[in-house]
Amino acid sequence: MSGRGRLIQGAFALGLAALAAVPALSEIKSGTEFLSPDMRRQQADETRNPAFFWVEQGRELFSRKPTPDGQACVSCHADPQQSLRGTAAHYPQVDAATAKLLNLEGRIEQCRVERQGQPAFGYESPELLAMTAYLGSLSRGLPVEVKTDGAAKPYYEAGKAFFERRQGQLNLSCQQCHDGLVGQKLRGDTVSHGAGTGYPAYRLEWNDVGSLHRRLRACSLGVRATQFDYGSPEYLALELYLAGRAKGLPVETPGMRR
Amino acid sequence: MSSAISPRSRHSEPGLDRRSVLAGATAGLLVAALPARAATEPSPELAQLIARITEGAVPERGRITLDIPALVENGNSVDTRIVVESPMTDADHVRWIHLIAEKNPFPDMARFHLGPRAGRAEVATTLRLAQSQKITAVAALSGGAFVLADADIVVTLSACIDGG
Amino acid sequence: MTFNARITLPPTASVGEIVEIRVLTRHPMDRGGQSDGRGGTVPRKILNRLTATYAGEPIFRFDMHTGVAANPFVSFTTRAVATGDIVFEWREDGGATYTRTARLTVT
Repeated sequence: MSGRGRLIQGAFALGLAALAAVPALSEIKSGTEFLSPDMRRQQADETRNPAFFWVEQGRELFSRKPTPDGQACVSCHADPQQSLRGTAAHYPQVDAATAKLLNLEGRIEQCRVERQGQPAFGYESPELLAMTAYLGSLSRGLPVEVKTDGAAKPYYEAGKAFFERRQGQLNLSCQQCHDGLVGQKLRGDTVSHGAGTGYPAYRLEWNDVGSLHRRLRACSLGVRATQFDYGSPEYLALELYLAGRAKGLPVETPGMRR
Repeated sequence: MSSAISPRSRHSEPGLDRRSVLAGATAGLLVAALPARAATEPSPELAQLIARITEGAVPERGRITLDIPALVENGNSVDTRIVVESPMTDADHVRWIHLIAEKNPFPDMARFHLGPRAGRAEVATTLRLAQSQKITAVAALSGGAFVLADADIVVTLSACIDGG
Repeated sequence: MTFNARITLPPTASVGEIVEIRVLTRHPMDRGGQSDGRGGTVPRKILNRLTATYAGEPIFRFDMHTGVAANPFVSFTTRAVATGDIVFEWREDGGATYTRTARLTVT
C-alpha cells in the first residue's frame, strides 16, 4: 500500500475510534462543571443569579387567576412545592392521551389551553419561560430520570440519530464536539457534554433567560445548519435523547451559562 | 482539562501582581500573551478622558484597588470591585468613584457617589465590556485630590460585538 | 417589562456597624443602537440612576451608563444608625421611576 494510502487508512481508523469513544453515562458532566468558580458561585446564589427573577415571576403566575372567574394553576396543583417536586425531572415524556412527546413547556401550554381554556403563552414568551423556570426549580437538585423505552423509544432513537448526524455547512454532528472534544476550547468557551440540565437558564450572551430550544437553535446556527422551530419534533426528540444522556445528573434549573 | 479562566487579579498600584501572573502561568496561560499591567501608561485619549472628570488634576496611584478578572470569560457581565483606603469621616472621605472603559462604545461606565455615611469606600458591580482594553477607576477625595487604579484586561467574548 | 429587584441586607446590625447592601435588579439595560429593521436604530433604554435613602438623607447614588451589565448587580456599604427603612429609587431613561423599600433593624 502506498504511503498516502496508509495515512488515509490511519486517519480513518482514528476517526472511527473517536466516534466509538462514547463516554459511559456516568461520565457525562453537567454544564456547571464547565463554568468558572465565580460563575458557579453566582449560579447557586439567589442574590446574584438573575434567573431567579423568572422563577419568582413563574411562582406569581402559578397562583394568579387567568381571568376573574378562571382557575389558577394552584387550584388543581395545590402546594406545588410538594406536589410538583420532581415533576420536571421526568420530562420530556410521552403524553398518554395523545401519544405525542411533550417537554415541560408543552405540558404547561397543554394545561393552559385545554384545562384553563386560555390562549397559549407562546414558546419563548416571558410568561412561558417564567413558568418553566419556576416548575423546573421545584426539581432543583433531583436526578434527571426520563423514560427512553416503550412509547418513548422511537423519539429517543430519532434524537440519537440527530445527535450523531453531521449537519450544516460546517458538516459537524453534535457528537463530534460534545463527546469527542469535551474540555477543548471553542474560541473563549469550553466545550461541554451538552447535558442541558440547567435550562431555562440565564445566558450571558443573551442577557436573558432562554429555553433549551433557544440554546439548540444557537448550536444549529453555529454549524450553519437549519434552525428548527421552538417546540419542533426535531428538538423535542433531541431533548429526550439529551435527557437520557443526563440520567442521574441533578436538575439545575434555573442555571447560569455563558 | 485546562482551567478555563485565569484567577482574579487585584490591581493595587503600583506594581505587577506577581501572584496572579504565577497562577496564570501554572494554569497553562502563556504569560507573554497577557499584556504587562502596571507598565502601560494611559493613551493620550484616555488621559484626556481622565482629565475631563478630574478637571485637569492628575490623579495619584495608590490607596485604591481595582479588582477585576485579568481574563474575562464573557464581556456581558464582569464582576468588578473597587476599594479605596479612606477613614470616611466628614473631614476625609471619598466623594465618588468613576469607571472608564477606554474602548467601550461609551467609555464612561458608571459613577458611585459615596459620603461619610458609607463607613467604608467599597463598591462592586457588574460591567459590560466590548473588548480587551484598559479599565480605569478614578476616585475623588473630599480634600480635592484624586486617586487612580487601572487594569489591562483581555475579553474573550465581547459584549455589544459578539451576540448580546 | 417586569422590573424587579432583590435587596439583601443583614437581618440585624448593631449601631455604628458597617453593613453591606447588595442589590440585584431585573432590567434588560438595553444599550440601543441596533438596527430596528426599518432603517432606524433601537433607542437606548437603561436604568440610569439608583439612589438609596436612609435615616433622612441619601446614602448612596449610582449613576449608570451603557457599560453597566444587563440585570445589574451593585453592592455598597452604610453605617447602621437606627432601625428604619432604606428606600431605593431607580430612574429609567424616559423618566419612569421604580421604588423598593427594605427595613434595616438596628439593635
